[in-house]
Amino acid sequence: MHDWKLQPARDLGLPLSERLRSTHRESGTGELLAQLAWWGAARSYLKLAHRVDVIGQANLPKVPPFVLIANHSSHLDALVLATALPGRLRGCVFPIVAGDTFFETPAVSLFAATMLNALPLWRKRAGRHEMADLRERLTGGSCVFILFPEGTRSRDGAMGRFKPGLGMLVAGTNVPVVPCHLEGAFSAMPPGSNWPRAGQRVRARIGTPQTYGDELESRQGWERIAADAERRVRTLSPDAPVSTTDQ
Amino acid sequence: MNDAVRQRLFDVRQAFTDPVVFWLSIVVTSLLAIAPVVILALSRAGKVDTVRRHELMLRWRSWMILVPMMALPVLAGAAYFIVGVGILSLLCYREYARATGLFRERIASLLVVAGIGAITFTVIDNWYNFFVALPSLTIILIVTACILSDRPQGYIQRVGLAVLGYMLFGVCLGHLGYFANSPGYRPIVFLLLMATELNDIFGYITGKLFGRRKLAPQTSPNKTIGGAIGAATLTLILVATLGHYVFRGTPLDQPVHLIALGLIVGVLGQMGDLLLSSVKRDVGIKDMGSLLPGHGGLLDRFDSLVLVAPAAFHYIGYFDQVESYPWPRIFTGSG
Repeated sequence: MHDWKLQPARDLGLPLSERLRSTHRESGTGELLAQLAWWGAARSYLKLAHRVDVIGQANLPKVPPFVLIANHSSHLDALVLATALPGRLRGCVFPIVAGDTFFETPAVSLFAATMLNALPLWRKRAGRHEMADLRERLTGGSCVFILFPEGTRSRDGAMGRFKPGLGMLVAGTNVPVVPCHLEGAFSAMPPGSNWPRAGQRVRARIGTPQTYGDELESRQGWERIAADAERRVRTLSPDAPVSTTDQ
Repeated sequence: MNDAVRQRLFDVRQAFTDPVVFWLSIVVTSLLAIAPVVILALSRAGKVDTVRRHELMLRWRSWMILVPMMALPVLAGAAYFIVGVGILSLLCYREYARATGLFRERIASLLVVAGIGAITFTVIDNWYNFFVALPSLTIILIVTACILSDRPQGYIQRVGLAVLGYMLFGVCLGHLGYFANSPGYRPIVFLLLMATELNDIFGYITGKLFGRRKLAPQTSPNKTIGGAIGAATLTLILVATLGHYVFRGTPLDQPVHLIALGLIVGVLGQMGDLLLSSVKRDVGIKDMGSLLPGHGGLLDRFDSLVLVAPAAFHYIGYFDQVESYPWPRIFTGSG
């Protein structure tokens, strides 16, 4: 027999402004409809204006949880990654975004929370506590995180070093990390530009998932994970020397 | 759409044509105006401490927003009122779904929302037969759609929660809107809203004065038998007295019938309150939300209407045929 499990929303009773910024936020039917509309529009736009081409979609795990990571050079990046995921995952996809950019003013946080379903990470005070909250969310529920381990958009288009924060989320868990390399998003909408340049093609290459269940939950372990993930994203780049290790 | 229908739906000028509505509006406005004076006077006299005074003032401030939000749509016209009830149903369902966890079941939740939309449509349309058919049809949709996801684990919980939510906040609360399809709906709705809300306040006051034995301590530790009887008695007197003016000249205008109506409002209002308390206890939360400072969520305030609306609707309809006024159906009718 299956017992009833009544589990209220984890963000129940929070005032609206706190609710939007909470990493425990859970969206309901209204938000889901808003997200379907937004991602539908974003998908059509990317297809039409940037001819987005996604290679290796078969590498995506069929069920959550997993973390999708990529190089970061444009505001388009999260849109490309989110629309590359199958529609049935909509509602459990959470882009992890910079709190200091997307959750500072009420209007922008309302947009980020309702339309993007984004979870905030404050870059200046992302301590163990915040990371533990996100880790619990990832391992406990059916979540897909979209994460840019560089921590910021590259100003010259070249990929930077990955920060160990990714490792804090997945070390010692069976949550797969899916590497992805994005190409063309920098030319389409580099940091500092307000509007994307239509016509610039964007390409996403998705690699094979990797889990870090045996990795230690320590500074060294996190850094090894970050370095490994960085290498995996680099090998997906078309400029990379042909790799034989991942096939 | 003929002129009578248009007038009923949209004509703001009809707001105060009924003397009962006019006088009740004046009474309610003055009550709201003197409430802070009374609270301050009680505080000066040392009858209430600072904490309670703060809580009472918080509640009063919420009432200052709630009362116009409830009264204005009723006064403005049937269309505004019905849409208002539809929005209220959706917001109440949202709080229920978030409290029980039903909101994670996308399909079931979406169907309940669609069902509430359909109820609101039939009420505006004045299509009583479809209004009566919708509960069973929507339940068919919910139980079948939940089969299709092929997850028998937790099927009964999903379907059970969805059906209960739809019945309470879609169907039961939808009856409140259907009152607006009778020509003189304003005094009836005013009477019900006011009596139901005052019923809670009567319970609060008489409970403080006479409450000793607990009514249902496991469900709601603050409710007392004295408060419950006191509230039901005062509500009964209020409804029977005002009802005499509201239903003047109809078969309902008999002391026995009016007292029965008063009992329905007084008893079912409190039952609605206890129903929500049971849900909250079962789930293990204190308030349904944080929308209304001092009250909690929207449901903490409107729970008592959920059961009163359908019972009063069918009771009044038994004498007065609210559901079958000869208005044409607006969208689906030929006229």
